[in-house]
Amino acid sequence: MNLHDHDELDRLYALFKEQAEAISALVYRVTDPSAAGKKLREIINQLAVNKLVAVPSPLVNSCLNNAGAQTAAVHTTNLRNYAPEADLGLSEVDLAVAETGTLVQDSTAPEQRLVSTLPPVHVALVQTGRLVHYLSDAIDLFNTNKDTSSLPGYISFISGPSRTADIERVLTIGVHGPEKLYVIFVDRAGGACVE
Amino acid sequence: MNRRGDIKRDIKEALGNKNLRGALTRFGEAYLESRARAYAGKDFNALREEICAIKRNAADKMEDLAQRFTRAAEARGTKVFRAATAQEAREYIANLARQKNVRQIVKSKSMASEEIHLNEHLHQLGLETVETDLGEWILQLSGQKPSHMVMPAIHMTRGEVAQVFSKEVREQLPPDIPKLVKVARQNLRRKFLEAQMGITGANIAVAETGTIVIVTNEGNGRLTTTLPPLHVAVVGLEKLVEKFSDIKPILEALPRSATAQKITSYVSMITGPTPVAYPDGTTGDKELHIVLLDNGRTQMQADPVFKEALQCIRCASCLNVCPVFQIVGGHVYGYVYTGGIGTVLTAFLNGWQNASEIQNLCLGCERCKLYCPGKIDLPRLIRELRRRTGEKAGAPSISSQVMAKVLPNRRLFHSLLRAAGIAQKPFQRGGMVRHLPLFLAGLTEGRSLPAIVSKPLRDRVAQTPKTSQIVGDNQRQGVRVGFFAGCLVDFVYPRIGEAVKELLTSAGIEMVFPMEQTCCGVPALYTGLAHTAAEAARQNITAFEHAGVDRIVTACPTCAQAIKRYPEILAGEPEWHQRATTMANQVEHVTGYLHGVFQRLAGARLKKARGTTVTYHDSCHMKGCLGLTLEPRELLGLAGYNLVELECSDRCCGFGGSYSIKFPQLSRQILDNKLDTVAGAEVGTLALDCPGCLLQISGGLTSRGSAVTVKHTVELLDL
Ligand code: SF4
Ligand code: SF4
Repeated sequence: MNLHDHDELDRLYALFKEQAEAISALVYRVTDPSAAGKKLREIINQLAVNKLVAVPSPLVNSCLNNAGAQTAAVHTTNLRNYAPEADLGLSEVDLAVAETGTLVQDSTAPEQRLVSTLPPVHVALVQTGRLVHYLSDAIDLFNTNKDTSSLPGYISFISGPSRTADIERVLTIGVHGPEKLYVIFVDRAGGACVE
Repeated sequence: MNRRGDIKRDIKEALGNKNLRGALTRFGEAYLESRARAYAGKDFNALREEICAIKRNAADKMEDLAQRFTRAAEARGTKVFRAATAQEAREYIANLARQKNVRQIVKSKSMASEEIHLNEHLHQLGLETVETDLGEWILQLSGQKPSHMVMPAIHMTRGEVAQVFSKEVREQLPPDIPKLVKVARQNLRRKFLEAQMGITGANIAVAETGTIVIVTNEGNGRLTTTLPPLHVAVVGLEKLVEKFSDIKPILEALPRSATAQKITSYVSMITGPTPVAYPDGTTGDKELHIVLLDNGRTQMQADPVFKEALQCIRCASCLNVCPVFQIVGGHVYGYVYTGGIGTVLTAFLNGWQNASEIQNLCLGCERCKLYCPGKIDLPRLIRELRRRTGEKAGAPSISSQVMAKVLPNRRLFHSLLRAAGIAQKPFQRGGMVRHLPLFLAGLTEGRSLPAIVSKPLRDRVAQTPKTSQIVGDNQRQGVRVGFFAGCLVDFVYPRIGEAVKELLTSAGIEMVFPMEQTCCGVPALYTGLAHTAAEAARQNITAFEHAGVDRIVTACPTCAQAIKRYPEILAGEPEWHQRATTMANQVEHVTGYLHGVFQRLAGARLKKARGTTVTYHDSCHMKGCLGLTLEPRELLGLAGYNLVELECSDRCCGFGGSYSIKFPQLSRQILDNKLDTVAGAEVGTLALDCPGCLLQISGGLTSRGSAVTVKHTVELLDL
């Protein structure tokens, strides 16, 4: 589902990048899953990642296939066991909010939270068409259905890597969650997800 | 429980702690700037109107929402427990832990669980309960209490943290912040993975969906709600909102106001239990228990005045901007909730007698009110606390007894002031004079004593010929302006009143001085003497009605604000309330009034003071209550002054302290900070618009031997 026309998407992407980078996220935009795979390989090599955990989705799977990550062991099951030791967690998120640089995800499945919180690096894939402008737009998308039984059990809003300023108010990145957050926007994700 | 010790000793200790004061003052300054940046492009006032409406509605329907929340949450498989008291909440959680064989618990930051002293209770039962928020963990390891609602360990230095951690991990750690954070990550990671129960609070609870919203930065909230198979959330009833869409404005304001972030790293919206994953690769059903905590909140809700405190979203802005908090920090308040809001909460959660001392910490500067995203009038709530404590205690202090006796009797009051003027050293004498309710008691240390003039303003204006020269537009309108002097202008600074008279007369406006006017009532109001304040109000209303004026001006913003409150003070007396409203609508600060007049006259007639450089101090009540900031600056500009802005120009000078704070050393410290910035401005003249600030700051400057002169704006204008 594309929520906007192309110019609008470009503007939203630019705003997202500016806002997310201001809170220490690293933001990229690629055309398709094969380019996303290449970007992932770069990250794996650059950070010397040995163990990777990922929550499968069509986009995550094709990105992994294209990454050809022979150097790193990839785990996609029993993540509760592997995530604490992994160097990198990979997952797809559902929405991106431009005004705050925020990723939004239905993370009712605990694996979604494990891979994005336990490893020191989180790589989030998001379809460019899923950008929205305001935080309130994202909340509204969950709020449209009056039947509240369809509300996801756990909705995550993720903005930048984890941070603290609890010692002398000095900002320090990376506490209990990741110290690095990569966001890769994929314009044409392929499969059934994009119209 | 947890009864605080000696507050005076605590204050002394806090004042002696340079780390704390430095950290809080630096933060106070940085906070305002970064907060403004975070709100860029957002309309704070519109947002807080929305939040205020949402929370007010929720407070009105608190019980109904609690029931709807319970139904909705249970429909999704959550177990909801309604805890009437702290003890009930503690026991429920302890029983649950016992039933489920819990041995280790991880907690993410939650004020509600601190409020019910959950950790102590669980610890006594032999359960290991680990705080995982970095600041809270530091405090837990060092056996200290949080000093700030959002930044619990702001009073500690990296050196102290290094010592605490070194002891915990049995390794000598350097005072290196990133390294210390890593140590916390490694140590707490194990705890997360092993724990059988996770305890959190919640920032919002949505009645229609049974959803809780948790706002965090470090990621500990996420792990606490994900790893252990059992999640318990302790949620105060004031967290309830009606609709899912009500989350929006609160989520916009909370991070911006709390930490000056547009959004925190993590926001989790949890509706019902989600599966839990085990290390062996299996998944299971998680249990989610929500403890809806009352513990005094229903009582608050039933109170027509204090219900307003339920609009709080716990952002701590009221701490961050409070001149008293900036100097003493949170420990002085003695309980979990600190600062202005803490004073009110303590009364309801810990008992009125426990709030009786800390309510005196508020000097009524009204600053917090400007920043509160819940639109709570905290200074009003604190005044009300004082009033009720006064009634409850039954035995007022000597000075307030004297005030109650002297203030309603204007003749007695004024003749005592005159007597003090003649005696010249009024406050070193015994008896009545020493306890005069004028704001002057306790002003002796570190300041020069204010001299009560031998001839008050009321005698001087009576002598000037009544026939003022009426010119221009004002002549045709026949404008008559009544001057409300207030005690300080009348008896200490008549020169200000004379300057006003001269300016008005030259502008062709007749100024009258009703002789029956008396103290505005603020000293009584701030010491909780409601009846005395009401009597002063009635006398002033009568005096100005007799004078038959169109407008009332005063050179004191505190008096202006007090008169604007007369309708509130006389709310219970319909006839007086009507008359009070009329007077309240007529009153204006003279600088605001003159600004209007000279704008009409295009400032043409103001004599130019070429090249003289001045700086300007924004008095709390001038800016905070009356909203006058540009007007004095523009007037000074029109008069040809070269204005240099004062650093933190709107930081309180501490004068409020002389009548409402029983802690003069606090007031002195606040003054010292002000004097430092005045010295830094390197100018010869400081302009301001409040005789109280004038008294406080000029006294301080004189005792420092400074050559800076302090003038009321009207004294710097010449027509
Ligand atoms: S009115 Fe001033 S002194 Fe009182 S709590 Fe608010 S900011 Fe603090
Ligand atoms: S009273 Fe207002 S400013 Fe203070 S914590 Fe509550 S919402 Fe924030």
